[in-house]
Amino acid sequence: MRKDKNINRSDAMTLQTDSSEDTQRPQPATKRLSYLLRVNSADPTLMLALLLLVVFGYLILAPVVLLLIDAVTVHFADIARTKQDLGDLTFYYLNRVLVSPISRDLFWWPLAHTAIISVAAIVISFLVGAPIGWLLSRTDLIGKKWFSTALLLPYMLPSWTFALAWLTLFKNRTTGGQPGWMETFGFNPPDWLAYGALPISLILALHYAPFVILLFGNALKQFDTQLEDSARSLGASPATVARRIILPLMMPSLVSAATLIFAKCLGDFGVAYVLGAPVGFDVLATSLFRAISTSQAGASAVLAGVIVLLGTISIIIDMRLLKEAKRFVTIGSKGAMVRQTPLGKWQAPAFAWALLVFIISAGIPLLALTLTTVMRVPGSFSLDNFTLDYWIGTDLGTTALRQGILLTGEFWLALWNTVWMVGLAAIGAGVLGLLVGYAVVRSPFASVSVALRQITFLPYLVPGIAFAAAYLSMFAVARPPLPALYGTPIILVLAILADQMPFASRAGISSMMQLGREPEEAGQIVGAGWFRRMRSIVLPIQRNALVSAILLPFISGIKGLSLVVVLAVPGTDLLTTYAIRLVDYGYSQAANAVVVMLCVVAFTGTMLVQKIGKANLSDGMGSK
Amino acid sequence: MSSITLENIRKSYGRSGPAAIANLSMEIGASEFLCLLGPSGCGKTTTLRMIAGLEHPTDGRILVDGKPIVSVADGIFTVPEKRNMGLVFQNYALWPHMTIRDNVAFGLTLRKTPDAERDAIVNQVMTKLGIAKYADRYPAQLSGGQQQRVALARMLALKPSVILLDEPLSNLDAKLRLEMRAELKRIHAEAGSTIVFVTHDQWEAMTLATTIAVMSEGELQQVGTPDDIYERPANRFVAEFVGSLPINIINRGAVETGPLVAWLDQVLTHFDIDAAPVASAGIRPEATRLGRLSEDEAARCAAGYGSVVDVVPTGGSWIVEIDVQRTRFFAIATENPRLSAGDTTHFWVERQHLHLFDREKQRIAL
Ligand SMILES: Nc1ncnc2c1ncn2[C@@H]1O[C@H](COP(=O)(O)OP(=O)(O)OP(=O)(O)O)[C@@H](O)[C@H]1O
Ligand SMILES: [Mg+2]
Repeated sequence: MRKDKNINRSDAMTLQTDSSEDTQRPQPATKRLSYLLRVNSADPTLMLALLLLVVFGYLILAPVVLLLIDAVTVHFADIARTKQDLGDLTFYYLNRVLVSPISRDLFWWPLAHTAIISVAAIVISFLVGAPIGWLLSRTDLIGKKWFSTALLLPYMLPSWTFALAWLTLFKNRTTGGQPGWMETFGFNPPDWLAYGALPISLILALHYAPFVILLFGNALKQFDTQLEDSARSLGASPATVARRIILPLMMPSLVSAATLIFAKCLGDFGVAYVLGAPVGFDVLATSLFRAISTSQAGASAVLAGVIVLLGTISIIIDMRLLKEAKRFVTIGSKGAMVRQTPLGKWQAPAFAWALLVFIISAGIPLLALTLTTVMRVPGSFSLDNFTLDYWIGTDLGTTALRQGILLTGEFWLALWNTVWMVGLAAIGAGVLGLLVGYAVVRSPFASVSVALRQITFLPYLVPGIAFAAAYLSMFAVARPPLPALYGTPIILVLAILADQMPFASRAGISSMMQLGREPEEAGQIVGAGWFRRMRSIVLPIQRNALVSAILLPFISGIKGLSLVVVLAVPGTDLLTTYAIRLVDYGYSQAANAVVVMLCVVAFTGTMLVQKIGKANLSDGMGSK
Repeated sequence: MSSITLENIRKSYGRSGPAAIANLSMEIGASEFLCLLGPSGCGKTTTLRMIAGLEHPTDGRILVDGKPIVSVADGIFTVPEKRNMGLVFQNYALWPHMTIRDNVAFGLTLRKTPDAERDAIVNQVMTKLGIAKYADRYPAQLSGGQQQRVALARMLALKPSVILLDEPLSNLDAKLRLEMRAELKRIHAEAGSTIVFVTHDQWEAMTLATTIAVMSEGELQQVGTPDDIYERPANRFVAEFVGSLPINIINRGAVETGPLVAWLDQVLTHFDIDAAPVASAGIRPEATRLGRLSEDEAARCAAGYGSVVDVVPTGGSWIVEIDVQRTRFFAIATENPRLSAGDTTHFWVERQHLHLFDREKQRIAL
């Protein structure tokens, strides 16, 4: 039934009576195609999305897939041993890593160590962090505001800095070089105190305690005090309220913090390397590093694969729980009332506790690091022991580093490398993240959006050191259009960029979602083409988002060690890898000086980002 | 000053989604002020966006001054940037990072208009719309009404040949609405632009448009002058949609033979109208005459009667709710009817105010 016959004709307007042959006229498929092409050529979003898909397929998916393939195919070096041809499917590496006699040293002990330190780190960080999360979110603790920044300080700095601080204080003759403070004080720390599981767990715990403080604190903040009150008015004792009501509601955030810490510990290379290597205490990350540095490509692929697997599982658990947690939040936040518990006579002990945690987790380590750089013999406080030689001295009696680091070319090179490589990678990640956001939100095909979102999220599941291994698999040889990249700065820039994409793309997606399409369409209407709209409308409106999408990756890239330690060579040293090299040489003061500089950069950067607004540290937690 | 022709436009969102617009054809004459009127979700915005080029039809053609800018069958699609149409969005879509002046000037800058000329145009437009004093503010610093005028200024600065407006008055208070309506009328009179105006407010449509196109569920119901639409609704939908108070509908169904139907039959006989094709009738409350008549008079004008349920004064007119043996009938009196609940009243209607519809709900011409 056509409606046309119903329509009044008026003078001003005539209606075409659509003759039925009009709609039944077969439309040539080519014309229709060219119509669709024309429609889409006006709007290159789809092209952009496909292009990004190719780029990240190459930069993220391919390396990870190659890594997994590397784990089950014969490598050149092992042709003789496996009696198979190059590239054949083999279980040799799996067998070697998981079952063979050396598997104990290569895999099982490191796995056990990883499990022990992760569990210990989780337990300790909860013991430390949960009370503080409560103090900061639900009480009238004095200096709350200051504490809420100060207690997050350990997370703003690289984790292995604290390992270096520990070494500075507790090292003994097991490692050579300068004495530790304890030694200077006349106390010789035993190996179990100086190295291995105890200090590693402790440092990881203190470093990741901010996770617990933030996640637990936020959950408590959203938790309605009325629920508590109504339970108590029904006669439940405070203990029952805590056990039956608060705990179940807090569970998702607690487990989420635990899985996050686990995932981080899994990929954390620096701490275990600095404190574990002297006593041969290996975790999965250091075992992988050893496998890589001894050119066991197959074995390292298997190890990296296992790390990826464990990382993926824990992140998936975490995401499940976060969804769960969101549900609770919506329940709780409806008219949520947060009551501040007055601490009363507990004010002083609570304050002391918070201060103690700050002093132990940030104060002492940073002070020790900094002081060491101006002491000839670490830990000796006689006046003539103080010196600026390690910063600006010349003709030091050492074999390699004969002058203060500020006068050392390599230091400046490393600093410059850090700034330009991480800077370039961060800018790339920020801009690409925004483009990914644009493509994901605007793409006419949902499947393309989903693919793009998941590919850019993939590095989040792959701990840094395993991602580096993947990059070695991919770029150690020429992969057209790129030549072999190992040893060049390009591989570092690409790896850092790719590694930061999960955060950058999420930031891009969420800010593009907020933008909506009207401002851009308004530009289209007044005659702005796609590039012009990007330049004059989309990017300027997103300027703040872009700044934080660049700065946060920059900061976390500067701190990162696990990723770059595998990929950097002396010519492409970054501050982090340079510091580790100095540690290897036993130059404590110089290494500490480098680390102090690094901390200054990372800390100012973080503060800057928070000032600029929008982005805050808890956003940054999503990034690695 | 361009005419626009839509031919057999079909639009479905997504590859296999149901059609938001099934088959739409209409012609909008040059310098016409056309209102697209219809309930929410009927496809007004979609139609407007297809004319602007922000959506592409799945099928059909769009012509401007006889030249196709969209033709699916011929592979023609002119991008929105090249259409020289002005569009004001429902939420204005000002660019938050540009000052008011830059917002207005942006299009001219794109066209590489010489600086002096551009500034002159921008100043002139801003002055005309009374936003010159906010030139250096940012959109977030303006009230809704001011933002609206910026959106209009931004569009007018480019002197578009076609102006498209998507419910531009919906966010304004009553006073501003009146002002902006006057503004729009003036723009139309001065520039003689072709204007397509989307609204679901029939009063706005009635007072602004030279032509109204009523849509429902993606289909055109009627196109005509405001008087056409109101006085000669093409079908039941239009009759029921247009009008300040819902029209009284009397169904001459096979089942339903209530007192109103009896009255209607009496009216039809009285006016000498063949009752056979009449399936239903509509009588506007405001066209209903009220009063107490003698039996003679009542017979002479075929009056019905009922008892008054309620009289609601609405300032200058009175809504009278009448109960005709448990069916409701509404009337509007322009003079105080001096009736109160419980009174009995007669009601009758004149021939030209009787809207009759056939079984397909289409108008039966008298
Ligand atoms: N982007 C889209 N994707 C899918 N369906 C859409 C989209 N935009 C509109 N629609 C559908 O098309 C139909 C017409 O929508 P349209 O926005 O044109 O309505 P409207 O007449 O402007 O309504 P309103 O008065 O509420 O603005 C609706 O059913 C709507 O759900
Ligand atoms: Mg609309």
